[in-house]
Amino acid sequence: MSRARTALVVAQREFTTLLRTPTILVLALGFVVVVGGFVLAAGTGGYLPLVLDLVAPMEILVPLLAFAFGYRAIQSDADRGELETIQTYPLSRLSFVGGVFLGRLAGLLPVVLVALGLSAGAVVFTPGDAVSVVVRHGTVDAPVLFLRFVTLTVLFTAVALAVAVAVSAAARSGREALAIAVVLVIALVLGFDATIVAALSGGLIGPDALGTLTALSPNSAYRGLVYTLAVGDVYTRSAPTPSLLAGTAGLTLWFVGALGVAVARVWRE
Amino acid sequence: MTDERTEDTADGTTAESAATDTVADAADPTLVVEDLVVAFGDLVAVDDVSFTVAPGTVTCLVGPNGSGKTTLIRAVADLVGIDHGSVERPESATRPVGYLPQAPAFRPQFTVAETLQFYADLTGESVDVDAAVNRVGLGGVPDRRVDALSGGMTRLLGIAQATVGDPPLVLLDEPSSGLDPMMTRHVADVITDLAADAAVLVTSHDLTAVERIADQVLVLDRGRIVAADSPAKLQASTGTDDLESAMSELVASESGQVATRDAEVDG
Repeated sequence: MSRARTALVVAQREFTTLLRTPTILVLALGFVVVVGGFVLAAGTGGYLPLVLDLVAPMEILVPLLAFAFGYRAIQSDADRGELETIQTYPLSRLSFVGGVFLGRLAGLLPVVLVALGLSAGAVVFTPGDAVSVVVRHGTVDAPVLFLRFVTLTVLFTAVALAVAVAVSAAARSGREALAIAVVLVIALVLGFDATIVAALSGGLIGPDALGTLTALSPNSAYRGLVYTLAVGDVYTRSAPTPSLLAGTAGLTLWFVGALGVAVARVWRE
Repeated sequence: MTDERTEDTADGTTAESAATDTVADAADPTLVVEDLVVAFGDLVAVDDVSFTVAPGTVTCLVGPNGSGKTTLIRAVADLVGIDHGSVERPESATRPVGYLPQAPAFRPQFTVAETLQFYADLTGESVDVDAAVNRVGLGGVPDRRVDALSGGMTRLLGIAQATVGDPPLVLLDEPSSGLDPMMTRHVADVITDLAADAAVLVTSHDLTAVERIADQVLVLDRGRIVAADSPAKLQASTGTDDLESAMSELVASESGQVATRDAEVDG
């Protein structure tokens, strides 16, 4: 059987597992409600303001949800001893990890897309002109900007899930997986940026290096790409963000690196 | 000290050569293990072990707790690295080796039939899941969720899983551990049936069942094969009436004490 078909068999198992796990369903619903709450609280009246309102919450909520969906995916099989059974079947580490990732992504992406779709719906169906910091730039507000934001958020979701799957493959116990997941989420949301700020204030790096260094954090890379591709020049940035190239490279490295770690650690070849 | 231990069996042949000869009359053994050594740091769990398993036979690994049975069967399944020696497994089959771990467990969100279907799909071959379920006696509960199965039923599901894809070599690690006498007897019957199509290697503490199903018994003590023969010949060579007495005789004469070893090595 081809690697792709084997991966699909594994992916189907992962997707079904998600559908039959009540905790996951509650978390998915909670994600949609929280995102909706942000939109309603902001009273957003345009696509561009919606992007600006959502980018920061997404930086936090997407990694949280991705880790909830993925941090135990492989580890639970290992903990149960089932991973050893699976190893005796004719499938490669790449097929298995790829299948786990795709199956979990198939469950995760609809949740993110539903939340963003409902947010866009709020813009479409909300009457009146809501006031926003960028509303005077109405000529550049268009659904295509929001679609770019959605596309970048989908990519960011995939990267966050890849990191979660790597954690699930590397951890030796459920407790260790949870501990690593918590540390990584904190690092992604706060740690990387805080470290760069500390290095800047300490004189270890200069302001010129900020654009590149911030791309090392997937959150900063995502933020930079959103500002570059979905917001454009209508928003004056208060802090340096990665360039298009650096941001793309940063996310790609995290994605490939994380899945590489998962493949290397899932079992001995 | 391992150096001081002899491998001579009661009739003067070495245990390892006996292990190789007992079932090696078959032209092409399904499994050939030669000079196998598996160590965890300073602890040698499997120490220079050689044996063969012929197709259509049941070989049972017996020995005290910590003697290296589980490590040996996991090495044969290619689940632990080996430090020396070789393990020749079947190569032609889609799924060369079927494996039942000591404590089989499955995703609780799935039913018995769904679990077996997943493993069948991994082989890429058309598998009659209903037949696999019926073969182990779970025909009445194909739609029951795995987390609602008893320990015995989970073990039977594990055995069914081990046979998915018709592997020519089936490895079963304590398949009847913790089961009631009726279930133990049923598992023994299932193993006998499996041997019609495959070579079966089983670890077990249930010497009554071993006596009934084994074509070859390998007695392990502190990682080494100290005796290898059919149950009847082991009893004859030790002058005992049953396999339990024979094993006690063989292990006591080897070590002079009860073996103790980290449960992680051989639980």
